[in-house]
Amino acid sequence: MELDYVKLGFKSGLEIHQQLDSPRKLFCHCPSILRKDEPDVIIKRKLHMVAGESGEVDIAAAHEASLAKDFVYQGYSDTNCLLEYDESPPYIIDPISLKIAMQIAVLLNCKILPITQIMRKTVIDGSNTSGFQRTALIAKDGFIETFHGKTGIATLCLEEDSARIIDKDKGVFRLDRLGIPLVEIATDASIKNPQQAKETALKLGEILRMVNVKRGLGTIRQDVNLSIANGERVEIKGFQDIRNIERAMEIETARQIELVKTGRSIAEVRNVLEDGNSRFLRPLPGAARMYPETDLPLLKISRQMIDDIKKEVKELENPEEQLKKHGLNQDMISLLLKSKKVEEFKEFLEIIENPQIVAKTILLFPKEIASKEKKSLEEIEKILNSDVLGNVLESVKKGKIHESEIKRVLLGIVRGEEKEEPKEKIENIEEKIEKIIKEKQGLSANAYMGLVMKEFSGKISGSEAMQIIRKFVK
Amino acid sequence: MAKIEAKPGDLVEIDFVKNTYKGVFLEAPKDEKGIILLKLNSGYNIGLNKKDILDLKILKKAEEKESNVEIKKDKSKPNVAMIVTGGTISSELDSKTGAVKWLTSPEKLFKFYPELFEKVNVAKIETPFMKGSENMDFRDWQKIAKTAEELLNNPEIKGLIITHGTDTLHYTSAALSFFLRNLGKPVVLTYSQRSTDRASSDASLNLQAAAIASISDIAEVVLVGHSSTNDDFCFALRGTKVRKLHSSKRDAFKPVNAEPLAKITESSFIPLSKYKKRTNEKIKLDTKFEEKVALIKFYPGQNPDILDYYAKNGYKGIVIEMLGLGHVATGESRNSWISKLKEIQKKGIVACAVAQTIYGRLDPLVYSTGRELASSDVIYLEDMLSETALIKLGWILGHEEWAKSKEKVREMMLTNVAGEFSDRLEE
Repeated sequence: MELDYVKLGFKSGLEIHQQLDSPRKLFCHCPSILRKDEPDVIIKRKLHMVAGESGEVDIAAAHEASLAKDFVYQGYSDTNCLLEYDESPPYIIDPISLKIAMQIAVLLNCKILPITQIMRKTVIDGSNTSGFQRTALIAKDGFIETFHGKTGIATLCLEEDSARIIDKDKGVFRLDRLGIPLVEIATDASIKNPQQAKETALKLGEILRMVNVKRGLGTIRQDVNLSIANGERVEIKGFQDIRNIERAMEIETARQIELVKTGRSIAEVRNVLEDGNSRFLRPLPGAARMYPETDLPLLKISRQMIDDIKKEVKELENPEEQLKKHGLNQDMISLLLKSKKVEEFKEFLEIIENPQIVAKTILLFPKEIASKEKKSLEEIEKILNSDVLGNVLESVKKGKIHESEIKRVLLGIVRGEEKEEPKEKIENIEEKIEKIIKEKQGLSANAYMGLVMKEFSGKISGSEAMQIIRKFVK
Repeated sequence: MAKIEAKPGDLVEIDFVKNTYKGVFLEAPKDEKGIILLKLNSGYNIGLNKKDILDLKILKKAEEKESNVEIKKDKSKPNVAMIVTGGTISSELDSKTGAVKWLTSPEKLFKFYPELFEKVNVAKIETPFMKGSENMDFRDWQKIAKTAEELLNNPEIKGLIITHGTDTLHYTSAALSFFLRNLGKPVVLTYSQRSTDRASSDASLNLQAAAIASISDIAEVVLVGHSSTNDDFCFALRGTKVRKLHSSKRDAFKPVNAEPLAKITESSFIPLSKYKKRTNEKIKLDTKFEEKVALIKFYPGQNPDILDYYAKNGYKGIVIEMLGLGHVATGESRNSWISKLKEIQKKGIVACAVAQTIYGRLDPLVYSTGRELASSDVIYLEDMLSETALIKLGWILGHEEWAKSKEKVREMMLTNVAGEFSDRLEE
């Protein structure tokens, strides 16, 4: 069905939540990691609805309060602290997260607010032990360019992520995610149609990947706001996959057309389903649920800080300059940019500090092997994927493979002769952790935890890591 | 800089060279003279430098909206009285203006704590003063005691709930334990560690449990609050045996050298140890207090000259938090305290010893250091808490008839007046 979005008075905006990659949480020093092992702390709490000024209650909060009131929080004694338990005032805001948020603000052409107040946003669905989420407006009034014209960026907020829901009916939440720093980017309502919405989402994703953000499932969440003439504003939440945005918006627009005809359009929050349809989640919250975080001072951002960030962002925006610093020639740089492998290049440089070898391994060798084997580059790259190349480079670093042998090894892998190096099982994990601790002395156990999990994430559980760290840190 | 005539709550428009902001003008932060705060339409607050303001227009004056909440009065429920003194449990953040206000009116209390009013009929609410507990002193304890006496000597009232800041709550509970003689009804002090604006505030359970305690059969001054981090039950703790032992947790108050008197859930009261039972006695108020008493903590190497300060400034009594079983530096040390302690006592100052370790009982006879010190007439207060000791000393010395005799003071300090000593230490 073709819809005429101009005629419909279609208005839409996007809201993107992106976790930031900082070793600590936004308002405490706990490591910013998700855990798979069993929690060892159980806390039972109740949340009570608090009436706002002049007795009125925020409509969304009232809806939440009408649901469960008794909650169970599962925590980890080694990676959660009193703040996540709502038993201590917050620590000062994480400077690393603040810096990343400011970088994003500059990339989105936003104005950074020199003085802002950290706020409490009332949330009583149980996803925050305190009954609110800490959030601060960092910047506003920016824009990004899209094919359909400029999309305005209304606000950029730095906030705490919520606790993970484990059992909705029983009100069980896990505290590992609570407090992980994230930015909330809200566009204005200038998005004219679902195509522009999708394009905006893609563009925002690209910009976010230029700075230190978390990667992988669940680290970015997209919400869509839309309305048509004479209808109320509807928010659709929970897009993990950008490809669904366009379709879900088309379906919701069609639904709104019907609702407006019969006068039944209401302001609400909906959850997106896999097929692009959505279902009612809760009414939209108002400004009534925001009040200041009285435990923290005003957040002040100096002119100097903003200028420094602008300088850094210039470098981020100009990857060519950065790549030149690595001593790559112009052809190699162009190829890297064209094939969109700059990120992979940077990742591999952390394995082996030899830009030439890395560039050859990801750009030249697969090409040469493709022509030699008379296969398409896509086919070859399917076999020689990022994991495989990473493992080979690890072996080079360890001296198991000589630099001059890389191409031969890769060819062997493609032909199925060479056995792909098994994924490195961490041997001597204790020694490795001890090394990390010795390299940066004087940090807290939790700070080491962040470093260790960054290095060995997925290969070791948080509690194992903490056990080892405790052996070296008293 | 433009002249600012807006009042908190006004809707304003503020012009700067490059921007114009519209929002609700908020109360200025006290420690930030050059900044004004503005609440934007989104609900976020931002700060603006006063000196950069070109123009400030008031678009709409703030409206005074009084909430019309009607208190549920239920005569079929037992009557209790309340004394509200301040603290987190009695404050409210006004999000319209950004200011913290006291919750004094019964209507406001009802709005915040409806659960309390479901359990009991709050027949009277008194506010002798409103202050953070860090600003209180013995005069405030005397005022609370006087108000308590008046309320509790009314036969209609079954018990009393007192809301109070946490910082000095255990001093107040000790003071009331000595001031309210012949107590026949429950006097229940309670608090909150999480502010009332939070859905997670501990005040709700604490007040519900306090309500249950106030109609129970405990005829003592007790402190009621969370027993753990969970919102499941509270403990009633004896007023002279309780101390704030955590700066921020819900279960900050712990019994020291004592057991909880009762466990209280939202709907049940379970006695856990012996306490004085409800009687028909009339309270006898005894709030005499000598202000010139001090509490000091001994540290290694400390020069005893510090005691001269108290002697010179007319102090009548001093409580010293000593090391271990009751030790300060003696003969072997560069800075022995023995002669100075004897000297100030000769000048008429009463010196008492309590345990710096918080838990456990003093026993000066175990080591020679202690024996040397014990010979100096210092009064060893066994397992009494330092804060309780300070207040008891002030109370005893406030009575001329006792204070004039050194022997009487010693005897009274060592008499168990309000459960300040435990015969048996279980932990």
